[in-house]
Amino acid sequence: MGMLDRFVAKVTAFTKTFQKKIAPIRPKRIALYLVLILFAIVFLLPIWVAFMTSLKNDTEVDNSNPLLPPTSPTSSAYSKALGVLGRPMINSLVFTIGAVLLSVLLGSILGYIFSKFKFRYHNLVFLIIVAGTFLPYTTIVYALVRLISGLHLYTTIPGLILTHTAYGIPVCAFMFRNFYADIPQSTIDKARKRGDGDWRIYRRIILPASGTAIVTVVMFQFTSIWNDFLFGLFLGGGPTQAEPATVALAGLAGSHTNLLMAGAMLVFLPVFLLYVFMGRYFVRYLTGPSESPEKEIEPTPELE
Amino acid sequence: MRKSTLLVFLLIFALAMVFIYGMIGWNVFVSFTGWTGGTPSYNLVGLSNYTKLVHDPLFWGSFLRTLLLFSVIPISLGIGLFLAILLNQNVKGARIFMIIYLMPFAFSLVVTGVVWGRMFAPSNGAVNTILRAIGLGALASGWYTESSTVMLSVIIATVWQFSGYCMLILLAGLKSVSKKKIDAARSKGASTLRIYRDLVFPRLAIPILTAVVVLMIFTLKTFDLIWVMTSQGQPGTSAYTLPVMVVVQARGLFIAYGAAAGNVLVALVLLIIIPYLYWIYRKR
Repeated sequence: MGMLDRFVAKVTAFTKTFQKKIAPIRPKRIALYLVLILFAIVFLLPIWVAFMTSLKNDTEVDNSNPLLPPTSPTSSAYSKALGVLGRPMINSLVFTIGAVLLSVLLGSILGYIFSKFKFRYHNLVFLIIVAGTFLPYTTIVYALVRLISGLHLYTTIPGLILTHTAYGIPVCAFMFRNFYADIPQSTIDKARKRGDGDWRIYRRIILPASGTAIVTVVMFQFTSIWNDFLFGLFLGGGPTQAEPATVALAGLAGSHTNLLMAGAMLVFLPVFLLYVFMGRYFVRYLTGPSESPEKEIEPTPELE
Repeated sequence: MRKSTLLVFLLIFALAMVFIYGMIGWNVFVSFTGWTGGTPSYNLVGLSNYTKLVHDPLFWGSFLRTLLLFSVIPISLGIGLFLAILLNQNVKGARIFMIIYLMPFAFSLVVTGVVWGRMFAPSNGAVNTILRAIGLGALASGWYTESSTVMLSVIIATVWQFSGYCMLILLAGLKSVSKKKIDAARSKGASTLRIYRDLVFPRLAIPILTAVVVLMIFTLKTFDLIWVMTSQGQPGTSAYTLPVMVVVQARGLFIAYGAAAGNVLVALVLLIIIPYLYWIYRKR
């Protein structure tokens, strides 16, 4: 008896949720989804066209409809593109990883100092650094060439690592400072009373609480350094020196369209993989830097 | 703060300062010299580089085209707001739509330039093919190969890249509007239009301001996209913006003149970010 009651109750509950899920079909909802899908198609179209073009052979690429898939897909454009872009992609990978690690480490230390130490004019000093994020690098690129040449790092991987690290510090410090604002000052004060030094606090309290922050900032930095073109153009040199993948791709301009598109797909691939597998962090990073100024206004939470 | 902490702080700080303000300072100084060519010359010539700028049609053309690029901002914001409002209607699969709309933002501007070059290709390009297929063949054109449409091509590609970012920022703003307030207003019989005007849009002021500033700076920095898509600002100089002009001067070793043009660009950026940063941080 009891079992039957429970069964009936379950069935009615199930049908109720089911009814809720399948709401009566409303024309407005259908229009909504149609518009969303239409926009999705428009947004994906360039990627689709580029990808389809990259799979076509030399004759089909000139004669076929650019929107349609190839009749006989071939990877020949990719093997050609890899021949040109292989070495530059390795260059890019090496200096990107190096600069990401360094700028994230240094930015995290600066973020820690700016969020947990109050010294005179600390906000003004912080603003002076953050303003660097907005510098249009085109304007200073020749000065930079002279500086890097003076350091004997012109057309070298270390030269690009140094450059990207230096220009990455402001944005990293900015993002880490916002993340560290959530770590209560009282925790820091307690540790200080116990006699912990600054670096012990950094290692024991700040770093363990930085998981999401580090992933987010690493993603941000990886994307912007990998995607950079200007510094690579002026400081990279040739493929056997430090030429990045983006510069090599731009150098392909004028060659056959399928080769160019295959190159574009290859250069996009690492960022795409990062984006697909860690998309939620990516979304956080996009809302992060521009949303956080508001949060900045609030003082560090004082819990005690 | 311990001594070692102070030392590390000063080192990192100095590194950033040299690369940011050291370079700007160098630029300002060099813009008062007559330096052209590969060997440095520091003979001071006063303001003559700047007076030359004022009389240079190339500079004014680049300047105006830079401002023209700002039209990307209202268009991207409009599309972004539209998509954000749609996605805020309890859409199933909203995440997938968001990922699709956002994907262009992850593109390198070089890749965007290459891919949109294919879209706008005069012969056998995707855009012209579509226009012809839907009976608008009259609108098919040479796009980035013609001086009258080259900036339009650049603007469309840039809008494609940045609309998703606007959507994300505005969606975060929409989500911050309290459901209770909306329900209360609705039960009092307020129309949807009124609810948006009085409750929703005021919450979007800060996200919109943020997006405007970020897009302005992006626009003022944009160089790679134009450089790649229009083969370094062609046809002629009809796709020159300030960043493109500055790079052309630097590569042509017109160092002092390029520095002067660059300083104008830096001044523009400062004009935008100083009020913004002041506004954001004034409550301190």
